[in-house]
Amino acid sequence: MSADTRQLEDAGLRDVHIPSGLRPYVAAMWSRRSYVWYVARSTLREKQMNSVLGNIWHLLNPLLQIAVYYVIFGVVLEVDRGVDNFITFLAIGTLAFTFCQRSTLSGAGSIVKNLGLIRAVEFPRAVLPFTSTLTETLSMLPSFLVIGVVAVVTGETPSPRWLLLIPVMGLLAIFNLGAALYAARATSVVRDVQQILPFVFRILLYASGVLFSAAEYAEGSYRWFFTLNPVYAFLTVARWTILGSDVSRSLLLSAGTWTVVVTVTGFLWFRAGEASYGRS
Amino acid sequence: MAAPEPPLGLAGLSVRITDLEVRYPVYEEITSTTHNRLGRFRQRRSVDVHAIKGITADFMTGQAIGIIGSNGSGKSTLLRTIAGLQPKSAGSVHVRGEAHLLGVNAALKSELSGFRNVMLGGLAMGLSHDEVHSKMDELVDFSGLGDAMGRPMRTYSSGMRARLTFSIATLRIPEILLIDEALAVGDRSFRAKSLEKIREIQREANSIVMVTHNLNEIRETCTRVLWLDQGRVVADGDVETVLESYESSEVAP
Repeated sequence: MSADTRQLEDAGLRDVHIPSGLRPYVAAMWSRRSYVWYVARSTLREKQMNSVLGNIWHLLNPLLQIAVYYVIFGVVLEVDRGVDNFITFLAIGTLAFTFCQRSTLSGAGSIVKNLGLIRAVEFPRAVLPFTSTLTETLSMLPSFLVIGVVAVVTGETPSPRWLLLIPVMGLLAIFNLGAALYAARATSVVRDVQQILPFVFRILLYASGVLFSAAEYAEGSYRWFFTLNPVYAFLTVARWTILGSDVSRSLLLSAGTWTVVVTVTGFLWFRAGEASYGRS
Repeated sequence: MAAPEPPLGLAGLSVRITDLEVRYPVYEEITSTTHNRLGRFRQRRSVDVHAIKGITADFMTGQAIGIIGSNGSGKSTLLRTIAGLQPKSAGSVHVRGEAHLLGVNAALKSELSGFRNVMLGGLAMGLSHDEVHSKMDELVDFSGLGDAMGRPMRTYSSGMRARLTFSIATLRIPEILLIDEALAVGDRSFRAKSLEKIREIQREANSIVMVTHNLNEIRETCTRVLWLDQGRVVADGDVETVLESYESSEVAP
């Protein structure tokens, strides 16, 4: 640091090309918390107002989704062998998977859809993927009620263990935030990512045992793959909370580790691109 | 070791630009005149644009600086570099407080109403819900948009958009306001209002740097003019002196 620079800094001036530290960045994000709430809530309200059934769709949509998958995979293809309560198994699988998919996809669009705002107003850009993730999380809340209802209707006895679904989904929401941060920057660099992501999720849908039990494969020679697949780990832990099905400690560890790693590195990687958003 | 110079006027210093250089690569498309079997083909090559070639200047608190120069002289690049949006290649820019670029061409969310866009912009700038609410009436009054505030922004004309964006930007005044051709849009009455607003900002001891081709705007608002040509400062001084030599140079080819 030259003598001039030190003198300027002593006088209260700062170099605009040295990015502000992590602490001021997080502080600036914190001061935007009402923005995050406002956008998340108004986005949901807008969706309701644009449909005839409004709020009911939050419950109807997951129920229909479960029904369709049940008919195809349970009744037609009969892949429900080895699963005691296939409907609840499907309900947890599809809803948790949808939660992850929707959060990542809206994260991918969070920068490119808000270019106008980015160019007009200065604020920490990480606020945008945070907002999209919160919006998706709020819109998923009714689905978790659906899981409870489906479980009771299909004959599961409620137990205090069910409450553990809440922290598990909370952890998944944080994981989703990390995925959204990655997807947001990747899409802002190469728009094509938005086209590729649906295929990634299509592969994940089959590789994570969403629609059928993958326990057979997960115990076999592909065990490493399933243990390392965060989506499989989350689904298996979530199913355990309601169905009491088997869950290994390594899957729990996998879900926890992925969440920390993806969210922390996602945030840092996203911030490293801060100056590039909205420039193209 | 450099001799410790007395900190000349550092207290009133708002922006210090030291030996600033900005280069950036752009892709140029060259259409080849040679025809091959595939027909005309296009090649792309990367060209380094040397937009700022060494600028040194001090801006003081309370000054309103107008930047003039022909197209491609580096005016907008300089503004973006002060805002920290454009990476520098050499030199440095130091600022006191926040330096925000006010861009009017930017749209917020076109499907939302003017009111909602004000809330959105205000909250994004870090104001609270209540703060935006308390300023809403004043803002609607200032923007002159009236009933149009309740309509989606996509129904706005470009002048109305400009009014809205300018109004939103003034919700929170940064220490250094950078304006890129912001006043060139909008009708005469709104232009007069924005000029008044800019003078108000100036009185609050913030500094303003504006890029414009409208010399009357500079005469009405600025206290100092910086004339750029090909990335270098040609003249820097009081408004009349610089504008006079600028105008006489424009007449001569």
